[in-house]
Amino acid sequence: MRQALVIENLSKYYNKFLAVDNLCLGVGENENVGLLGPNGAGKSTTLKILCGLIRASSGAAYIDGINIAAKPEQALSRIGAIVETPEFYPFLTPEETLSYLGRLRGMRGEWLRSRIKEVINLVRLEDWLKVRIEKFSRGMKQRLAVAQALLHDPPILILDEPGLGLDPRGVVEFREIIAGVGKEKTVLFASHQLVEVAQICNQVAIIDHGKLLAYDTIAELEKKYQSLERAYLELTGVSFE
Amino acid sequence: MSELEKLRVVIGYEFLKHLRRRRLYVVLGLTLVTELAVLIGLPALMDGYPDSVMVMAAMLTVGPSLATIGAVFFAGDAIAGEFESKTGYILFTNPVRRITLVIGKYLACLAAVILLIIFGYIILSISLWGIYGNVPIETAESFGLCLLFAGSVLSVTFLFSSVSKGAMGATVMTLLFIMVISGVIDSVLMMAGKPHWFLLSTNGDSIATVYGGYELFLGLAGDLPHGMDIPPGILKAPDINLMIISMVIYLAVGFLLSILISSRRQLT
Repeated sequence: MRQALVIENLSKYYNKFLAVDNLCLGVGENENVGLLGPNGAGKSTTLKILCGLIRASSGAAYIDGINIAAKPEQALSRIGAIVETPEFYPFLTPEETLSYLGRLRGMRGEWLRSRIKEVINLVRLEDWLKVRIEKFSRGMKQRLAVAQALLHDPPILILDEPGLGLDPRGVVEFREIIAGVGKEKTVLFASHQLVEVAQICNQVAIIDHGKLLAYDTIAELEKKYQSLERAYLELTGVSFE
Repeated sequence: MSELEKLRVVIGYEFLKHLRRRRLYVVLGLTLVTELAVLIGLPALMDGYPDSVMVMAAMLTVGPSLATIGAVFFAGDAIAGEFESKTGYILFTNPVRRITLVIGKYLACLAAVILLIIFGYIILSISLWGIYGNVPIETAESFGLCLLFAGSVLSVTFLFSSVSKGAMGATVMTLLFIMVISGVIDSVLMMAGKPHWFLLSTNGDSIATVYGGYELFLGLAGDLPHGMDIPPGILKAPDINLMIISMVIYLAVGFLLSILISSRRQLT
C-alpha cells in the first residue's frame, strides 16, 4: 500500500529534553490511524513536525513522499490540520477567515464560496457565518477549526485533540464528521480519548516518552490485550499483575 | 498559485484586520486631537499664530509624527501575536512561505500607517492654507520623510515582534528603544555637539526640521533665561541626506532581520 505519511527516525529535543525519540511510523493511503499516548508522550510534537510548525532535531517526515522540511509549502498543500487549540483572528468572521485561508490555498470564486458553505453547514455554524469570531465560544472556534481543515478537501488530515472544547453533542457530531470524511482520506488523529479513537480509526500507534510502543489494528490489540484500554494502560506503564 | 498572488491575499486580509481594529481609530483620533491642540492652544498661549508659516508647519508635523509612533501599537503584535495567541497554528499550516506572510503583514501595516500620515498632512495643509494662504513646498519633503520614518519604525517594531514572546513586550521594547534609549543618547550627543544623525529619534525630528532646523522653535520659546547659553552648533540639525541613509538602514536591516528570525521561529 502507498504510504501517505512517513516518519523516519524522527527525534526532537527541546533544549536537553527529548520529546520524540527516534520515532518511525508509516500511515498508508486512506488509513485512519489514532496516535495515543499520555501527556508529554510526544504526540503533539510529532504532529507539529508533520505540519511544519517545528523542525525535527534529526530524522525526517514525509507527506505524500514530500519531505516537509525540504519542501514545506508543497507538503502542506496536501494536508488539513488542527493543532492544539487554535485561535482565529477575532476581528474577522468565519466567512472572511475561510475565504482568507482558502485563497491562500489557491481557491477562488464559486468553488471557494460553495466549499465555505459546505463546510460551515457540516460544522453547523451557518447562523454564525457573518458574526465576528470575538463573540465565539471555545467550542464554536473548534468547529471552525474543523471547517478550515476540511475547506480545501485535502487528502490527508492531521488532527491533534480536535474534540477539545466541544460539548458532548459537539463531540458526537465531530466523530461523525471525521468518520464520514475519513473514509476517503488519510487521517492521523492524536487523542487521549480511547473511545473517540476506536470510533474513528482502525489502527492505533501508542507512544510514550517519544518512543513507539505499539502500532497495530485495534482488533489485533484487543485480541492481544483483551481491550484497547488495557493495551494502552499496560504499554504505558500500568501493571495488571 | 504564485507567492506574489499569495502576498496580495495576505496584504488584503491583514489590512482588513487593521481596519476592523479599534486601535487604528484611536491613533487616528489622537492625531486629530494633537493637531487641534496645536491649532487652538498655540494662539491661545502665544497671542496668535507664529508669523512664519514654516514655524507653524513644523509645529503641525507633531500629528503625523505621533501617528507614526502610534503605529507601533498595531504593528507590535504582527508576528509575536501569531505565536502568543496561537493564530499561527491556523496560518502557518497553510502552504505559504513565512517570508510572504511577514512581507504581507509589513505592507498592510505600512498601508494603515500611510492612511494615518495622509490624514495628518491633510489637516496640516488645510490649516496652513486657512491661516497663511499658502502651504510651503517643504511639506512634500516632510511628507516623504515621514513615510520613510514610518517605514523604519515599522521595521524596528517588526524586529522586536519577531523576537518577542508577546505583543505587549514587542510594543514596549520598540517604544523604549525609540523614545528612551535612542532619545537619551540623542540628547546627550546633541548637547555634547557630537553627530547624532544615526539615531532613530533624531531621524524622526527631520520631519519638522526640514522646515528650517531646530532654531525655528527657538523663536517660539522666546528669549532664554539670563545666563543660559546654547553651545554653538547645537541648533544645527543633522544633514538630511545622512538621516535619510540612517532611516533606510533601519528599514532594511530591521525588515530583513525580522524576516530571517520569523522564518526560523518555531511554534512550540
